[in-house]
Amino acid sequence: MNSSLTAASRGLASCHLCLKLVSHTLHDCPRCGSEIHIRKVNSLQHTLAFLITASILYIPANLLPIMITDQLGRSTESTILGGVVLLIELGSIPIALVIFIASVMIPLAKLLVMFYLCWSVHHGPPEGTRQRTVLYRITEFIGKWSLIDVFVVAILVALIHLSNLLVIRPGIATVAFAGVVIASMLAAESFDPRLMWDQLETEDE
Amino acid sequence: MSATGSSREELNCLACPSCDLVFDISKLNDGESARCTRCGHFLTVYREGTLHRVMAFTSSALILMALACSFPFMTFKASGLESVMTLPETALKLWIYDMPGLSLLVAAFIIIIPTLMLLLILFLVGALLLNRNYSWLPRVGRLVYTLESWSMVEVFFIGVLVSLVKIAKMATIVMGISFWAYGAFSILFILALSGLDRAQCWGRIEALGIKGMASGEVPSERLGDNE
Repeated sequence: MNSSLTAASRGLASCHLCLKLVSHTLHDCPRCGSEIHIRKVNSLQHTLAFLITASILYIPANLLPIMITDQLGRSTESTILGGVVLLIELGSIPIALVIFIASVMIPLAKLLVMFYLCWSVHHGPPEGTRQRTVLYRITEFIGKWSLIDVFVVAILVALIHLSNLLVIRPGIATVAFAGVVIASMLAAESFDPRLMWDQLETEDE
Repeated sequence: MSATGSSREELNCLACPSCDLVFDISKLNDGESARCTRCGHFLTVYREGTLHRVMAFTSSALILMALACSFPFMTFKASGLESVMTLPETALKLWIYDMPGLSLLVAAFIIIIPTLMLLLILFLVGALLLNRNYSWLPRVGRLVYTLESWSMVEVFFIGVLVSLVKIAKMATIVMGISFWAYGAFSILFILALSGLDRAQCWGRIEALGIKGMASGEVPSERLGDNE
């Protein structure tokens, strides 16, 4: 089963869409027609561009209101952190903790991990490459799950509209937050973990 | 074509998408899966008879999606008043509140992309089961696997459950037919996709193409890129 050589060292490229191994001189995949590249094109530049976008959007996503509640003529704006503080004041610390981790910590951790991985391509310790690959795959997997918050706002807005009694409106931070999640998903998609392994091989030689 | 498609590696092997190591995956038995020995990345799983299952899951999921879009999703009752929400309204309400971009994204993630994927899978698996090599087959396959990372069916359903927890104490919530239909839909959707292993599915599409060429009907696309 195992062979010690990588596709690139044999002059082969793996199609990013259908996984077919083809000669790297080909322009398009003969099986599915996608463009063939040995590694993702300008991977680090694209990843960093998406990461910076996500980091900038992270600020309004946390400072601006994500939801506006109109209750009996009184309207309350709530930010993500405000909601957490409110839950702590009400005494539901476990729920507050879950929301804090899911909406504040994980998006931030994802950005930091991706920045670290980009840096590690050229400067990381070679013995940790496998762990960093696993770290990348976890980040890639968690990606779309951060969108839960956006869906929760969409659902509450669609569900709760009791004329003058209680109406929930979406806040502008929802758009920013969706931007953070989508930009970090695109960052993870543009990153090529094989670059970390390539580095390992050039050091071996 | 023969210049590029003949080597043993190109037909039987696969490079790990995470670390580029080459593995021969042609000798897997029914039910066996392959993982990269260097970085642990899942490579492929070989199962016989998955296409019939995928077909069954896909067609049932499409029917459930139709149900989920046409009945009430949840009803919110408080102080003698009640408001009803339907599945398309989760996206439409955002449009009303002046967020058209977000509204389109939500609609795409939870309704449009999943439905489009299922319709495409129906054509793809249908052609594979009938052993017919259509020229549109690679294009359909490419679209299915491109859309894959942008469907958020399961994320949305967890979002529904989170919202239920958040508002359960405020009022009475009644789940409608659409709620159960979408829940069942998300399970069938995941099952259908898990039966469509990327490497195996493309292997089948390729096998159909080679068979087609042997019997004389060379697909025009393949002639085109033969230099």
